[in-house]
Amino acid sequence: MGSLTDKYCIVGVGETPHMRPSNRTTLSMACEAVSKAVADAGLKLADIDGMTSYQIGDSTTSPHVATALGMRLNYAVDILGGGSSGEALVAHAIGLIEAGYCKTMVIFRSMNGRSGRRMGGQTPGGPVPVAVAEGDAQFNMGWGWTTPAQRFGMSAMRYLHDTGCTTKAFAEIAVAHRYHASLNPKAVHRSPITLEDHQRSRWVVKPFRLLDCCQETDVSVAIVVTSRERAFDLRHPPVFIMGGYARTLTDSPQWNYSRGDIHHVAGNYGWKRAFGMAGVSHKDVDFISCYDAFTFTTLIQLEANGFCGKGEAGEFVKGGRLQIDRELPSNLSGGHLSEGYTHGVQMVIENVRQLRHRADDACPGWAEGRHTYDRAAGCRQLRKAELCCGMGWGWENMASCLILRGIAA
Amino acid sequence: MPGPIDYSKLRIVPDFDTAEWWAATKDRKYLVRQCPDYGHKWFPPIFPACARCGSLKTGWFQTAGTGVIYSYVVVVQPIVGAFVATAPYVVAIIELDDCREAGGAVTRVAGVMLNDEAEVAIGLPCEVVYEETADPRIVMPRWRVSGAAAHAWRFTE
Repeated sequence: MGSLTDKYCIVGVGETPHMRPSNRTTLSMACEAVSKAVADAGLKLADIDGMTSYQIGDSTTSPHVATALGMRLNYAVDILGGGSSGEALVAHAIGLIEAGYCKTMVIFRSMNGRSGRRMGGQTPGGPVPVAVAEGDAQFNMGWGWTTPAQRFGMSAMRYLHDTGCTTKAFAEIAVAHRYHASLNPKAVHRSPITLEDHQRSRWVVKPFRLLDCCQETDVSVAIVVTSRERAFDLRHPPVFIMGGYARTLTDSPQWNYSRGDIHHVAGNYGWKRAFGMAGVSHKDVDFISCYDAFTFTTLIQLEANGFCGKGEAGEFVKGGRLQIDRELPSNLSGGHLSEGYTHGVQMVIENVRQLRHRADDACPGWAEGRHTYDRAAGCRQLRKAELCCGMGWGWENMASCLILRGIAA
Repeated sequence: MPGPIDYSKLRIVPDFDTAEWWAATKDRKYLVRQCPDYGHKWFPPIFPACARCGSLKTGWFQTAGTGVIYSYVVVVQPIVGAFVATAPYVVAIIELDDCREAGGAVTRVAGVMLNDEAEVAIGLPCEVVYEETADPRIVMPRWRVSGAAAHAWRFTE
């Protein structure tokens, strides 16, 4: 990004509650999330001239949302994609605003991820009665190997074999993110768990247990991006986009086990560019977010993005290192594992709130940035939250990243 | 041994790129794609070009259908109806013995093991076996452990 570093900002965030079921359409939820994000920025809908979203054939589109809300846009494009697409659309927004196609953009994802199309391919009621295996599915559904848990499990199993890591490292991730969810009134699972709870939970697909897997929820999320000049006039202190990478791929993006090391994931090809753009190093990072569709995906992203060496993540996360008030807090909202599932955007939202010093926790004065830092009383705001690295994941083969900076509180 | 797969609940749809592969499987032949110019081999056949040279003039290589287990998962909670009675079952990725290339590349395939979890381990040799399905056009390749290995690794709880 070079000279574009700090030139663009995230100025608004918003979401609907995590529900199961929502009993709403994706259009209805998207309208609410977009309106909330725009209001959070201190803008009016008429100030927005660009909208993008991503989906997998399971959601409404930007033109529908714009029509519903009476917005006249200069740019509206909806892309096909899942995890890592939210961060990538922030990169699109930077490019489009820089090129003069629009001035202020809103990005949304809206999904009935539990009551509608489920990521695992199940019907809302359970297993698929008759499965039609076309295209890629001929060579995975045909042998009962379809869900993200089943697919990522292959990488996880080989990782355990290659590194000597055990599932106790998975447990560290589950415990840390659940602890953070316990401080988040919006999270669907808020009861703290122990390492033993994780190890005792039932198997879904070995090597993954129930507590290795994320929640499925119905939700919509939105963020607003604009230029630095406009950002300073808005409601909150801006959150600056320092660097990143956007949907970087491995060389076998649609069939990751076919070539090379199955757990050499896409982040490996991106992080040097991202940190180079941002002009910072890992030791400058106050907190991180990871795409925790599974505990393992957090573990492997730490390695892929250079926070530790290959095969070292199990040791790296030991003893609660990713928990709030420890060395490298991760997914402070509880993430996909415990807050709910948004295909990645909620991590960007939480990072923005932390960087503004306005985590929406149990502190009565959170909206004005007054926090107690008393975890027992439900405060989840970090004392020092100036720089974060958010890592997005879309299977082993695709990854994004956003390095964000806030103005010190 | 895992339970039976209910093939009446699974409809495989061969297409332009895969029809020849399924036809060969019906004749008990396990094929991988091969580039006639460079010899590079790959799987699955849905990919119509050689990833080394970009050529669309691809051919086929008939493998011996033997390999070594590279990784596996044990599906305890099935989500495809055809596999509900099968669970728990092992899906494995297998490195084919006769598809190793000079640069170290190896063609990997995947499939459902006939063996129970306790018999499967990374590093074990295995071989393809063929299973009739409810659809007379489709024969499904499965895999079974065919021997021992000095360095076999099995997932432990």
